[in-house]
Amino acid sequence: MRTKFSGILTLLLAFVVQITFAQEKTISGTVTDDKGLPLPGVNIVVKNTANGTQSDFDGNYTISASRGAVLTFSYVGFQQVDKVVGDSDTVDVQLAPSASELEEVVITGQGSGIAKRKLSTTVDFLTADEVDKLPSNQIDQLLQSTTPSAQIRLSSGQPGTAAIIRTRGAISASTSATPVVIVDGVRVDNLNSNPQLATGTGGADISALADIPVESIEKIEYIKGGAATTLYGADAANGVIQIITKKGTQGKARFTFESRVGVIKATEDFLAYERTAEALFKPGYSIEYKLGVNGGNEKVTYNFSGSLYSDDSFNLLNEQVRRNLSFGLGAQVTDKLKYQGSFSYVGFQANLDYNANTSFSRFSAFEGAGRGNLNELTEAEWQAELARSNDIGQFVDITNTVNRFTNSNKFIYDINDNIQANATIGIDSRGFVQEEVVSNALQIALGSIAPGTTDQATVNRLVRNAFTVTGDLNFTHRGSLENFEFVTVLGGQFFRSTDRQYQATGDGGVDGTTDLGFFPTQSANDFILENANYGIYFLENIGIYDVAFIELGGRLDQNTQAGNNTDALFLPKVGITYNISDHDFYYDSGISKVLSSVKLRANYGEATNFAQAFSADRTFALNPFLGSPSFTFNNPGNPDLISETVVTTEYGVELGFFDNRLNFSGTRYTATTEDALFTPPALPSSGQLDQIQNIGEIKNEGWEFAMTADIIRSEKHNLSVNFSYNINDNEVVSTGGAPEFNVGGFTVIGSWVEEGQSLGYLRGTSATANGDGTYTFTPNDALGDTFAPNFGSFGLNYTWDKLNIFMTGDYQFGGQIVDLSFLLRHLRGADNTGIPDDLVGTTSPFNYVNFFVFDNYFVKIRNIGANYSFGDKLGIFDDVTLGFTVTNPFNWTDGNFDPETTGSGVGNQNGFASGGFAYGTESAPRIYMTSLRFQF
Amino acid sequence: MKKISLYIIAIGLLIGCTDNLKDATDFTSVENPNLSEGTVVGQPNSSNIWRAGIERQMANALNEILILAELGSDNYVNTQTFYSQFLDQLEIRNDDPDMEDTYFDIARLREMAKFGLETVGPGDVEYNATTEADYHFFEGMSYLLSGMYFSFVPQEEGGPTFSSSENYNTAIASFDVALGLNPKAEYHLAKARAYYYLGNQAEAVSSANAAIGLDSDFTRFTEFDEQNLPANTLESALFERATFDDFQPLPTLDFLDPKYSFVDAENDAPVHFLKAEEAYLILAEANLASGNVAGAQTNLEDLLAVVATREVREIDDSIEGRPDASANSDNFPARPSVAADMVNGRAGLVLDRQAGDVMVPSVSGTSLTQAEIDAMVNDDAALELLHRTRQEIFIAEGIRFVDMGVKLVIHQNEFLQNPNINEGDPGTSAVIPSFIDAVKANLDAITYDAGTNTATTAIDLNEILVANKSAAEVLPFH
Repeated sequence: MRTKFSGILTLLLAFVVQITFAQEKTISGTVTDDKGLPLPGVNIVVKNTANGTQSDFDGNYTISASRGAVLTFSYVGFQQVDKVVGDSDTVDVQLAPSASELEEVVITGQGSGIAKRKLSTTVDFLTADEVDKLPSNQIDQLLQSTTPSAQIRLSSGQPGTAAIIRTRGAISASTSATPVVIVDGVRVDNLNSNPQLATGTGGADISALADIPVESIEKIEYIKGGAATTLYGADAANGVIQIITKKGTQGKARFTFESRVGVIKATEDFLAYERTAEALFKPGYSIEYKLGVNGGNEKVTYNFSGSLYSDDSFNLLNEQVRRNLSFGLGAQVTDKLKYQGSFSYVGFQANLDYNANTSFSRFSAFEGAGRGNLNELTEAEWQAELARSNDIGQFVDITNTVNRFTNSNKFIYDINDNIQANATIGIDSRGFVQEEVVSNALQIALGSIAPGTTDQATVNRLVRNAFTVTGDLNFTHRGSLENFEFVTVLGGQFFRSTDRQYQATGDGGVDGTTDLGFFPTQSANDFILENANYGIYFLENIGIYDVAFIELGGRLDQNTQAGNNTDALFLPKVGITYNISDHDFYYDSGISKVLSSVKLRANYGEATNFAQAFSADRTFALNPFLGSPSFTFNNPGNPDLISETVVTTEYGVELGFFDNRLNFSGTRYTATTEDALFTPPALPSSGQLDQIQNIGEIKNEGWEFAMTADIIRSEKHNLSVNFSYNINDNEVVSTGGAPEFNVGGFTVIGSWVEEGQSLGYLRGTSATANGDGTYTFTPNDALGDTFAPNFGSFGLNYTWDKLNIFMTGDYQFGGQIVDLSFLLRHLRGADNTGIPDDLVGTTSPFNYVNFFVFDNYFVKIRNIGANYSFGDKLGIFDDVTLGFTVTNPFNWTDGNFDPETTGSGVGNQNGFASGGFAYGTESAPRIYMTSLRFQF
Repeated sequence: MKKISLYIIAIGLLIGCTDNLKDATDFTSVENPNLSEGTVVGQPNSSNIWRAGIERQMANALNEILILAELGSDNYVNTQTFYSQFLDQLEIRNDDPDMEDTYFDIARLREMAKFGLETVGPGDVEYNATTEADYHFFEGMSYLLSGMYFSFVPQEEGGPTFSSSENYNTAIASFDVALGLNPKAEYHLAKARAYYYLGNQAEAVSSANAAIGLDSDFTRFTEFDEQNLPANTLESALFERATFDDFQPLPTLDFLDPKYSFVDAENDAPVHFLKAEEAYLILAEANLASGNVAGAQTNLEDLLAVVATREVREIDDSIEGRPDASANSDNFPARPSVAADMVNGRAGLVLDRQAGDVMVPSVSGTSLTQAEIDAMVNDDAALELLHRTRQEIFIAEGIRFVDMGVKLVIHQNEFLQNPNINEGDPGTSAVIPSFIDAVKANLDAITYDAGTNTATTAIDLNEILVANKSAAEVLPFH
């Protein structure tokens, strides 16, 4: 977009031109993007004149031009199109996206979307094409290695588990770093940990992220915290993942059918004993069918997609089934009113094996030498172990079932050409049932009860219903005044979520039933959270000569978690963006041939996290005890409790070289969590429980660099690579006078919060050699940061005509992790690797835990894939695409364990997740998948 | 028609403005399902429910104490890390969360008793002397436990520290109030115990006599809720964790293990924290201290008579291993496990758990025989025999640890936040008598030769205790 430097001159010229060409006619039409969606704000200019206009919200425009004149349609992020005016008074234009990454188009959020070039914050994207070619069905796995500045660590290979997600470091000691997830403007359950009342499966955390609908995705946007999320509501400080689903495109119905077949093989690279794999692992198969229909006319567009997925995993036990249905609708209700609706259903069923910190876990028992040093067992002993393991395995019975419904309804009303109203209302309802059956047979196989026992079976059932309703109403005004352009958004939003967990346990039963009524003793427990959050927000984006943009915004936020003594929080944001290369002088100068685009940006913003519902209240508990009620103190209460506020300042530059074939983005950020929610230890002498308080301060500083390069850009060959590097420095600036406190792990080596250290750093007793055979033992030594401070992703994409080959990967380094399985092996006398001989046996291994801490660096290739499009060569089909992908094929790490997996260190109910403890759970498997997709 | 529509809309809007639709449109109201103070205080029968809560808190406190005390003493060796990572080595650190948890539960017991006395009781129309007496009793128990396990701790939130003796005296004052309201044998015995550890022989004897005078074979026990918790943690360690035989008894005590075992799906094995046996043992020790061997012999005969009335449970303990069946390693070499095994030259102390059900006392058991009582003379051997019997009677009840004169520490979370305490003050470091410290590596050490069925403990702690009877920390009557 070129900028006219002299506005007054332009106006004068326009006046003159209008007089000169008096015999014009009025041309009108609609500008759409490559998907047929209307493009607002497209510049339409009669070539070689100053006569110009912009398309409105619906992509419609009118302009005066004479026959033979040339209309130039230009819009950032799209290729410019010239059209000659003919006899017709209608000129409809479809713009194709330009290749430049820098010029990525509008983002959603509050209001009707603002061009990315006008924003002072960064947003990471994943497009429909990218999503389609990735083999995964989980949002975390889709984003892993494909977003430049998110750190996504797969915590376990067990089905239904999900990743620990972070972007700009750990900002809170009271909640996980999981971003808010929004599907078509509606918040969805993002519980990325075991629920409060989870059954004791050991360690690997199940996650609601595993069943977030990822069907029919148009685009995923990952908006990091700070100023970018100020307007999103009270818990958006960890960032926001927005999923926008397809609503259909105009045209005849297009059917797609895709089948995917995969082989799933355990990742054995990290095992201490090959025999563990022999006992537990077995390659499995996955099969998936997807069916889609997409089409519509001017009035109504629709998109339907359904899929069925099933696999029997990489081991002898796990199985999972997914069923998805999604439907999207776009309707032009009246000239001024549009409706966009979406509905999705996800059904998910999987079973889990025991893992990590439970005596029932075979994996952690084998790997922790709980069954002895497997390498030293004789073949006969091993066969006995195998028989025992198989005997246990056949009786392990933990199943998870999820049924999730998500619905979004958006109404867009053009009040006039300049003002648009958007109203969104929607719900997410997720029902989760976990059932654990501890049969007599299982307990006998485990050796927990004597053979022949028939009356000690237990069934444990957790039912969790998470329901969220979201409503948003906002008005967007677009206006201009000479060289100033104004986008004004004013809105209000609320969401309300309820989390109801019910746990029922039956004890003393016989085998063969899960009917609680058949168990001689039954008990029940429940856990309820309810919160409402509401706020009003405004945003003003002022364009100056269409090169510089100033953003001013704020949100007044209130929520029911806050204590009675508190007021609504005002969260301001301000930003500035300067697209230097959009100046004419810049464009005309020679520099632009080399440095084709330059964008500078800076912003300040505040975003918050709130405490768990009801944590401000003083409460008492009534516990059943020996068949009677019993009172006790419960939460001490804190009427001053309020959300913690993350104050972020960031500066960034975006550079494009050689016609934007080489793009570079750099951001410096400083994010300080003020009034940080800490739960310091209460004075033991008070006899009262710990109370969450706003007493801490946490600081995150860092750099984010991303680079993309189109190494080859020709008609048939295209090769692009991308690479990102992020640095995060995390420090607990203050604990508000509270002593250090533990937020995960174990007594001998735990994850701690302490002034001057990183959040959740590892602490334990270390031993250092004095050189004379003696050792110095340092209790409470700082043994490393659980968050790798350096991380990034990389990728490669090559297309040759209809063949596409791609690779994605990620890496991290600089952090530490405890290999707990090694510690257990050592405690059991089975493994002294790397531990000095003169130390072993002289003292408890708990006095030299530093020998079990390793660098958590890794480089992992996540996906390698290829696909080939046959086009319409195969008869009746419009297109046939054959694809092949390998997931998790290669990795390089420090220790002989997977620094991603964690069977410990994740707090229940979205508690703090340090992930600093590799322990007792399987790594994500290797998956070889082929896909065949037909379109007709 | 249009008019009618307008009317309908108008009526609809009017109704909407009333409260009828408020529930449907108010998205900001939330309801905390937990109890507020108003639903606890001032309600009929609340003092009784509060007392049940205090009983439950006593169970919590015992769960913390017993694990630490049994590991810290010579009673049990820890084969795993599940319950404590330090105490088995008698490593008592002020950053060990178990120190915090233990004192927290004792303090919570006190706070609950006081809240009952000051707030819940007076607000309840059904509040009576029995309940009030129990509130005082449990407040006293809180001070008694403070004195037994800590050298110095505060008696109120953020308050100054009180010594072990001061805590015993505060406890006695509470027990006296309780006795004034409702005389009970266990209140007297609690007092007797406080006087015993204070070394006040006359008062200890007087209270012990008062206790058995009211009831010669009473016990006060804490019950545990297997289903709704707290379950008996030590029962899990001794029995329920099955192949994880975390706690392995000293071979001289093998026949007393497990004192706690599976009862049923609802109730877990109770802990008898005040029982008549203690009164006889106090009386016997007082008599020995006064040179009255005959008196001590009578006391011990009475003791055997009471022990004979106590439950002995028949249990299938075949799942338990000697050593830990789950640890297939050399860390824990073989331990005596057949009936033929002799320990320190004595027979009949080891049970063969693989040879069928075993009989294990669940309240009190002892290897003390009438012959041993008859042979007693006024010497240290008699005192050793008495302390061996104390160890046996009180196994899994946390008393041995106190008899060793060892004290836990104030956790750093207290002294870093309590303005009245600084690190380095009394109570912030462990108290371990030098003669215990000297043998702490050998407290659980044994040698065992399966071929000759011979097991030997590395030390005889009873001998060491008696040899140091004049030390202030142990044998308070000497």
